[in-house]
Amino acid sequence: MFDALPPLARVSWRSLWRNRRRTIITLSSIAFGLALALFMVGLAEGVYAKLIDDAIRLQSGHVTVMHRKYLDAPASDLFVRNSGAMRRMMEKIPGVERTKALVMGQALVKTPSGAVGVMVMGVEPAVERAASPLAKKIRQGKYLSSNNGPEIIIGQALADRLRLRVGKKLVVAANDANGQMIEELCRVRGIFRMDTDELDGYFVQVPIGFARRVFGLPRDSATEVGVILHDPDTRHAVADLLAQLPGIKGYGVHTWEKVLPEISGYIRLDRASNWIFQGLLIFLVLFTIFNTIFMSVMERGREFGVLLAIGTAPMRLRAQVFLEALFMDLLGCVLGIIIGSAGVLYFKLNGLDMSKMTKSEMSIGGIGMEMIVRPALTPGIVGWVGGLIFAVTLILSLYPVWKSAKINVAEVLR
Amino acid sequence: MTDKHVVQLSGVSKDYGEGAGLVHALKGIDLELHAGDFITLAGPSGSGKSTLLNIIGGLDRPTAGRIEFEGVDITRMTGSALSRLRKERIGFIFQAYNLIPVLTAFENAEYVLVLQGIPAAERRARISALFNDVGLAGLEDRFPRELSGGQQQRVAIVRAIAPAPALVLADEPTANVDSTTGGALMDLMAKLNREKGVTFLFSTHDPLVMGRARRRIVLKDGRIEGDTR
Repeated sequence: MFDALPPLARVSWRSLWRNRRRTIITLSSIAFGLALALFMVGLAEGVYAKLIDDAIRLQSGHVTVMHRKYLDAPASDLFVRNSGAMRRMMEKIPGVERTKALVMGQALVKTPSGAVGVMVMGVEPAVERAASPLAKKIRQGKYLSSNNGPEIIIGQALADRLRLRVGKKLVVAANDANGQMIEELCRVRGIFRMDTDELDGYFVQVPIGFARRVFGLPRDSATEVGVILHDPDTRHAVADLLAQLPGIKGYGVHTWEKVLPEISGYIRLDRASNWIFQGLLIFLVLFTIFNTIFMSVMERGREFGVLLAIGTAPMRLRAQVFLEALFMDLLGCVLGIIIGSAGVLYFKLNGLDMSKMTKSEMSIGGIGMEMIVRPALTPGIVGWVGGLIFAVTLILSLYPVWKSAKINVAEVLR
Repeated sequence: MTDKHVVQLSGVSKDYGEGAGLVHALKGIDLELHAGDFITLAGPSGSGKSTLLNIIGGLDRPTAGRIEFEGVDITRMTGSALSRLRKERIGFIFQAYNLIPVLTAFENAEYVLVLQGIPAAERRARISALFNDVGLAGLEDRFPRELSGGQQQRVAIVRAIAPAPALVLADEPTANVDSTTGGALMDLMAKLNREKGVTFLFSTHDPLVMGRARRRIVLKDGRIEGDTR
C-alpha cells in the first residue's frame, strides 16, 4: 500500500522501518505516554463527573432557580412562588431529565439526649427516590414516603449522637419566614450513611410539605427549583433560556458551579494540578522521543550527505525527515488513543476500586467521593490531549529536521 | 572529446584549519576539463584528490580562485543554486556506492530523475534502457542489501548518468570491488563515455582505472604534478 505513495513519502515511510526496534521503542513511548495521559485525565474526569452528578442530584440540579438574594444569604423568607407552574414550564424544554423543588433551611433537632443544629432539606420523596443518591444509602428503615407527613430521615452520626432509632420521635425547631419559632414533631423513618461528616452528622431530609410548615412557607413555594439535564454541557444554554421565561424572570438562575462553589472550586484546582502533573509526564516522555529522533538523524549524516550531494534540495531532505517524524507521531498517537481509550472503557465498565489506595473516606463540599471510580473520556478530551502530544512531538522534531540538512557534505562523505 | 570546457579552474586553493594546524590541501590549481573527457585524478593519499573532486562538484568551496562550470562562475553560488547544479548537471559515483538502503535498485536509479520532475513513464523508459545496457535487467526490485558490490556500483553508475549530466565525478569507484568487477565497471563507464559522450573524472589509486583513462592528472601536495593525454 505504501509503495503507491509519492516518492518522498515512500522514502520516509520505509526509512521509518529501517531500524525497526528503535521505531517500535519510539512509537511505544508516544503511544504509552499518550495512553497514560488519557487514562489519568479520564480517571480524573470520571471522578469529577460522578462527584458533580451526585451533588446535583442530591441538591437542586444542573440549573437552579432561586430568589435573587438567596445565594448571597440563604434564608427561608427568600423563596420562589408557584414552583409547580415553573416546573411544568421547565419540563417542556428539550433535554430536561427531571425537575425538583426543595425547601432548605437551618433548624435544631431535639431529643431528650440533646439538640443539634442541622440543615433541613424538604423534598418530594418520589422525585428524590429516582434522582438522589441519598435515597439509595438508607441503612436502616425506609426512605420518606409522602410529601407532607411528619417523618424524617437522618444520618447515622446524628442518630448515634441523639440516640435515635427508626420509629423514634424528635422535634424539629426553626424560625419561620416571619421570624416565629416553630416546633414540629416527627418520627425517624430511615437512617442513611453517606460516609461524610457533614451529611451523616448535620443533614436531614423531610417531606417538602413538612418543611414548608416548619419554615412557614406558602403552598407551592420552594427555596430552590432545580433542573436535571440529560447533557450537563447544555446547562449554560438552558440557564440562559430559563432566565428569559415569564414566571422565572426576576429570579436568580444559576448553574451548579455557582450553587456548589466548593465542588466547582475543588474541580478547578484539581484539574489544574492534574494538568501540571500531566505536563511533567508528557515532558519526560517527549524528551525521550526528542532524543530518539535526534539520535536517528545524527547517525544518518552520511546518508543525508549522499542525498544532498546528488542534488536533493535541503528543503526536500528536511521534508523527508519531517514526514518520518509525522508518520511516527501519527502512528504513535493513534496507538495511544486506542490503548488509552481501551483502558478507560475497561475501567468504565468494571470500575476501578480506589478504596484500597486511600485509608479514609473523602468528601468535597459535603458530598462523599465514590471509591469505585469509572473513568470518563469525551471526544473533546481525546482530541485535546491527543492533539497536544501530537503537536508537541511534531514541534520537537523540528530541530532534528532542521539539523538533518545542516551538514558539511564534503566532511560526512570523506 | 571536444574543445568545449565543462569545468575551468583558475588558481583554486583550499585551506583547512588555522594557525599551527593550517593545511593547504590545494595550492593554486589551474585546470580545464573538456566535454567527453575520460580523466583520472591520481596521487598519493592526502594529495588533494577528494578535495578537488568536492570543489569541482560544488560540495565544498575553495579558499581562493575561481571555478566555472559550463561557463558559469560557481564560486559564489548559493547552497540552493549549487544543489540545483548538482541535480541537473553533475553525477556522483562514490567508493562505497552510497545507495539509499530503503529504495530498490530501480528506485535508487531514478531518484535524481524524480528530483528533476521527469514524468514516471519517461523515468521508467530511461532507467529500463540503462539497466539493460549495464546488465542489471531483472534486478530492478532488489534492495541494495540484496545486490553484490559490483551490482550496487552499477546501480550507482545508472543513477549518476540517467539525468544526462555534463560531468560524472567518480571517487575511487573500483576500490571496493574485486579486479574482475572493477574491470567490468571501467569497461561499462568507458562504453558510456564513448557512446553517450558522458564526461568522467575519476579519483583513483587503481592502475586498472588509470590504464583506461585518456587523460591522466597527477596531484601531489595539492599541486598538479602531471597532466598527460
